[in-house]
Amino acid sequence: MTRDELKSHIAGRFEGRMTLLDTGRYDPMYEVKRSDLLEVAKALRDDERVKFDFLCNLGGVDTGERFEIVYSVASTINNLRLDFKVILPYEAAEIESVQEVWPAANWHEREMWELYGINVLNHENLTRFLLPDDWDQGYPLRKDWDAPDFVRMPEL
Amino acid sequence: MGVIRKLPLYAERIPGGSLVMTSLEAVLGQAQAKSLWYLLFGTACCAIELMCTGASRYDFDRLGMIFRATPRQSDLIIVAGTITKKMAPRLRRLYDQMAEPRYVIAMGGCTISGGPFYYDCYSVEKGIDHIVPVDVYIPGCPPRPESLMEGCIHLQEKLKKTKLGDWQEKQA
Repeated sequence: MTRDELKSHIAGRFEGRMTLLDTGRYDPMYEVKRSDLLEVAKALRDDERVKFDFLCNLGGVDTGERFEIVYSVASTINNLRLDFKVILPYEAAEIESVQEVWPAANWHEREMWELYGINVLNHENLTRFLLPDDWDQGYPLRKDWDAPDFVRMPEL
Repeated sequence: MGVIRKLPLYAERIPGGSLVMTSLEAVLGQAQAKSLWYLLFGTACCAIELMCTGASRYDFDRLGMIFRATPRQSDLIIVAGTITKKMAPRLRRLYDQMAEPRYVIAMGGCTISGGPFYYDCYSVEKGIDHIVPVDVYIPGCPPRPESLMEGCIHLQEKLKKTKLGDWQEKQA
């Protein structure tokens, strides 16, 4: 399946639930609404034509205005790649876990929870992961984060 | 070490005792300097240079430096690599487990000041001298094996000049 075929398949199969974003010549990137996430993820994994069975990456982004959670999935069967993201406002930083769809999401979601403070619902082990055990200085990957010994790069 | 610290007190009371002591100091200084066993503590890319220095091309052994895998047998800890805030308590613990007299070499920019991780970094300790006392700093990112050996030779020079009295001071 070529990239254009994938795009038209997604457009037909996920009408209204996945919105294609403009990424130029790169792999297609879709936006998924938070309420549709689990349903879309399951459908992507189980759909016969695509079968996205492999979660390559799951990461949080703080753009300074909102959070984005980017899911990169691949199909080892049909040799396809696809990215989609969920956009969250600061004040509602909360997302469902996709562990039941792709178990690999476990650690990624813990990391995201720890470094961005995005709450993950229905996660089976949401505990301190990368930071020191006695960390009490908030979420260091947020744009507005600060700490006593934290030094910003000066403007050059 | 307990015996050695008391030795100057007793020896200097007998005639010619101070002569014995100075010779003894020289011998002990040489012995210490020529058998600096270091603790393997490589946490980042500096460890690659450390390994290279230990291997046959640069041959650390000819300085009498042999790596040890336990702090109990080490005289020196070469901190080779970035020390994160999570790693800092472990470094302190290893240092505390080493027997006196013990020495620390800070190898590379990360251990001196945080190096390339000084700005915009939440996880890296800005210099290991916040954690353990450092005897020799070796700048570089990473330092070449020649630099590392230069640093070790500086430490050896320091050891050769050490008096038995200095041990007592350090202990206190």
